[in-house]
This record gives sequence, C-alpha cells and structure tokens, in this order.
Amino acid sequence: MAAIVSRSLATPPPSAHAAPRATQDPQWVRWTLTAVALVFLTFFLVLPLAAVFTEAFRHGVKAYFASLQDPDALASVRLTLLTAVIVVPANVLFGIAAAWCIAKFHFRGKSMLITLIDLPFAVSPVISGLIYVLVFGLQGWLGPWLDEHDLKVIFAVPGIVLATTFVTFPFVARELIPLMQSQGTDEEYAAITLGANGWQTFWRVTLPNIKWGLLYGVILCNARAMGEFGAVSVVSGHIRGETNTIPLHVEILYNEYNSVGAFAVASLLAFLAIVTLVLKSVVEWRHAQSRAT
Amino acid sequence: MSIQATNIRKQFGAFTALDGVNLNVPSGKLVGLLGPSGSGKTTLLRIIAGLEHADPGSGRIQFHGEDVTNVPAGKRKVGFVFQHYALFRHMTVMENIAFGLKVRPRRERPMASDITDRVHRLLKLVQLEGLDQRFPNQLSGGQRQRVALARALAVEPKVLLLDEPFGALDAKVRKDLRRWLRRFHEEIHLTTIFVTHDQEEALEISDEVVIMNQAKVEQVGTPQEVYDRPASPFVYQFLGNVNVLRAQVLAHGGAHTPRPATLEANGQVYVRPHDIEVVHDEPGAAGLPAIVRYIHAAGSVARLTLEQAQSREAVEVEISRTELAILGLKPDHLVRLRLRQGHSFPEDYTI
Repeated sequence: MAAIVSRSLATPPPSAHAAPRATQDPQWVRWTLTAVALVFLTFFLVLPLAAVFTEAFRHGVKAYFASLQDPDALASVRLTLLTAVIVVPANVLFGIAAAWCIAKFHFRGKSMLITLIDLPFAVSPVISGLIYVLVFGLQGWLGPWLDEHDLKVIFAVPGIVLATTFVTFPFVARELIPLMQSQGTDEEYAAITLGANGWQTFWRVTLPNIKWGLLYGVILCNARAMGEFGAVSVVSGHIRGETNTIPLHVEILYNEYNSVGAFAVASLLAFLAIVTLVLKSVVEWRHAQSRAT
Repeated sequence: MSIQATNIRKQFGAFTALDGVNLNVPSGKLVGLLGPSGSGKTTLLRIIAGLEHADPGSGRIQFHGEDVTNVPAGKRKVGFVFQHYALFRHMTVMENIAFGLKVRPRRERPMASDITDRVHRLLKLVQLEGLDQRFPNQLSGGQRQRVALARALAVEPKVLLLDEPFGALDAKVRKDLRRWLRRFHEEIHLTTIFVTHDQEEALEISDEVVIMNQAKVEQVGTPQEVYDRPASPFVYQFLGNVNVLRAQVLAHGGAHTPRPATLEANGQVYVRPHDIEVVHDEPGAAGLPAIVRYIHAAGSVARLTLEQAQSREAVEVEISRTELAILGLKPDHLVRLRLRQGHSFPEDYTI
C-alpha cells in the first residue's frame, strides 16, 4: 500500500487529456502483456488469414478468378446467398418477437423460453443437423410422408435452410433481450396513453430504440448463416452444383487437392469475415454514440 | 371531469396491492395520493389510467359518471406523466410533444402546421420555449419533467395523472416545481391526481389528500383536516413527527390529557413536538417531569430531545428559538412538559 502511495505521489499528475490509468503496473509488465497478446493474435488469427489469400493467389490472379468462375463454385455462392436471404429475415422476425415478449411481459415459463433460445449455442452443430435427418430423412418420422408427397427436405435446399435457421436463431434474440429489458416498458406505456396503437408503438418507439442492437445481431447472424459448416454438412448430401454451400464446396475442393480453388473460394468467406468485422465495429461505435449523446 | 373508483381490488401473486379501494375526485381538483412505498398508490393510479386492470369481479372506474373500466388506456383521454418521465429518447422535444397528435388516425389528425403551433403553445405554457430541437438527454431533470407534462397535455386529456412527479429531482428543484405545478393547476383547472410518498409535498399543494396504507385508504380530507384530525395512528405518524406517550404516565404527572372520553385504560396519547409546552420545574408546577438531553438549535425552530424522569422514554419537542433563549435551557436541566393538544386512539388500533 505504502509503495503504491509513494509511486503515485512520485508520478507527475496526468494532464487533462491523458486517458485514465486502469492500473499502476510497471512499464515492463504492460509491455510484456501487450507483446504476448500480439504474438498470439499473429499466430492464430493474422497468419491463417494471410495464408488463405497467399494460397489463393499462388498461381496468379488469373487462376484465382478462373476458380471463382467455375460453375460449381458459382452455384455454391448462389446457394449460400439464398440461404442467408431466407434465414436472416426469418431470425430477425423471430428474434424481435421473442425479445419483445420476454422483455415486455411477464408469463409462466419465461426462463424456460430463454434457455431454449440458447439451445443452438449449447448443442454441437453436427447434432443439430442429425436432428433434422432423423425428423425429415427417409428413415425418419416424417420421411415416408414427405416422400409420398414428393417433397425433399434432407439432401435439398429446405434442409439446408432449416439447419442454418436452427444454428443461427439465438443471435438476434440474444442481442435484443438484455437491451429491451434494460429499456423497460415506460416508453411503450407512454405511447399507449398518448393514443398510439400497438403497431405504431412498435414502429415509432420500440424499433428506433433497438435499431443498433438489432443491426448488430443481424450482422452476426448473417456471418454465421453464410459460414455454417457442421449442421449443413449433415443435411446437404454434398451434391455438387446443387446442395453445396461455400464452406462445403471449399472442403470438397481441398479434399481433391485443388488448393488454389479451395483457397480462392475460402477467400470469399474470409473477405466476408473482414467486412462483417468492419460493419460490426461501425455499428458498435454508432451504438455507443447513440447511448452517450 | 370527476373520477370515481369503486371497490378496486388488485392482487399480484400473494401480494395484495389494493384491497377494495374507493376514491372520489371532484372535477377540477388537485388531489394528492399519499402513502409509503408498497401502499398501492401507484397501482391505483395505473388502474385509473388503464395501464393495469383491477382484478376480475372487483369494482369500476368512472369518469364523470361514465364507466370506463373496459375502455383501453389510449381511449380514456388521460394524460399520464411517469416517474422517470418516459420521454422518447430518440425524438426531439418537439417530436415528443407532437407524438400523441401524429399517431391519430388521418381523419382526426391536425394539420402539420397546427401541430407545430400547438407544440409551441405548450412549450410556452411549461416555460421551455426555444428548447424544441433538443433531445431528452440534453435537458435537466426538471425540464424533462415539464416536457413530459407538455406531451401529456398535447392530446387534450380530460384527466391528468402524475406518478411521483418530483421523485427523481433534487430538493431545490422539487420545491420550485411543485409550486409551479400548483400555479399551473390554477391556470388550467384540469382534474389532477398525483402520487407521492412525501407528506410535505402532498400537504403543500393538494386541494385534497388521500392517505393510503397497506392497500387501503386510511383517510381523505383537505391538508388541514388530515393534519389536525388524523383518523388513525398511522396517519398521525405518517404526517409528521410524533411523540407517543402513555396516558397513565401523563395523568400521574399531572399533565393535562386531551379527549379523556376516548381514552382507554392503557391508551396512548399522540402529540406533535410543537404541541408540547416546556416550563421550568418550580415547586407546585404541574406537568410531566423530564430532563433535557440534546438541544438542536440550527434551523428555524429549536428541537429538544428530553428524557421522561420516570419512564426514561424519549420525548421530542419543538419550541421557537426565542422561547429557548427566554427559558435559558441547557442539557441536564429538569423541566416540566405540558400538552397543548394531543390525540388518543384505542389501544387495539395501534400500528
């Protein structure tokens, strides 16, 4: 204690612009910790990312674009986009509805519902995929009925959409529940006493208050929907040009020793990840701004 | 417009918030709903506004004789001001106040220019001209409160309901704002109910005070009535400092006991600190003997803490500082206490 006091007395008083000091640890401790963190990040995050792009461009720009223009690669991009276009809006609707009822109302089984929303995070994606195979597959519960009516779910697009929806559905809800809970219900009640109906209250009061949180959830949900491998792998059937999403296509190419092709397609996902991170930072920054002002 | 609430009951799980409450607010009055926290006053206000519903099978809410029990909150023509203002944080002051007009169906909605005019008139009324483009978080607590009031008034309510309107403000602003509210009420004469747990606030600005305790109404009356003639020990204690003295002790001490007819054998006498007279202990002097323990003379009156000579129980007394100077009291002086007035309640009625 005495040491801390004497040191803090010895250091010159911080100027008005100096950032507040979190600790009084000596310089070498701070530098070492920072260096360890940076080395770790370089090895586990930056190097792999660099490797993806290096490998992709190993045989030149021409080979890179040629492998992207391969019909199967284009089909996988289209399928991934289609999946995201269906899954993200579905989970936005679900997420808002779930967060709204959890944050604004009291009812029995509320904590049960919150736990259920977290289920996809707790379950391995492979299991999530298997569940759908067991329910909708030919040997599954609904399989024979679906077969009779000539409906394909497993090894087809609907299965991929279902599995992706399951895996990504906590993102929006999880983001919104604490936000809406912290905002309480007073503003909604105020809107109602002023004569607004439920729809007006939602669009004019609730939604503007949650828009940054919502956007953040959407970005994370989209990133996961496009990148999901495990669950989709189980239900897809790996039919080239038909049921392969980008991650599945990357795996096939890699297993065929087509490393330029694999890394070229993978670079699309890596690029998506970077864009996601940038967007996420922007949204976080705006969110913090809107709270601070 | 008058407000009647008849036999309102509300249960939250095992907790009884309102237990058959009746309330009658005459048109144009400013009524203070006063009680400790958990006494059910806010729940009652929210039921009147239509934000909560009384338990099925319990009573009715009427506005000017018209049953509104099943009318939704948005159609009751009620202006509600929330304790924490509940301003729309992403809207400017202007947009906040205009909200109630803009959400009206197209046929009933005033023209945009009329809305702007009305907002400016309201801002003038609440003395916030020129702040229309600010956001709520750029305003002080008192300003936010007045924006909330203007927003509630914009829809031309028939009734104004205020939930702890000054609860979140500091002492000085509180005082200014409650006087302002009183003057404001005199200008617009809108039937108003406000909820508060601050007895000073309720007594200062209400036409009538409704005192609630444990889900029930304890007493209704003008501020002077409830202060001078409290209906129960609870009201007596809640409305200010009080000494509870045992009647027998007073009788032995030769002190004058009030209302002996209602006094039971073990009855207690409730006395306000300023209703006790202090005299020197001279031979033959009547009164309850007591010893001065502490003297707090910082303030408009002097506060004495004394100890009864026989029972050792403490008594609080307030006398003017002039009187203190004339008596020349010091700690450890023996004095006699006489009651100017006091109240007694039967023993089984104590809290």
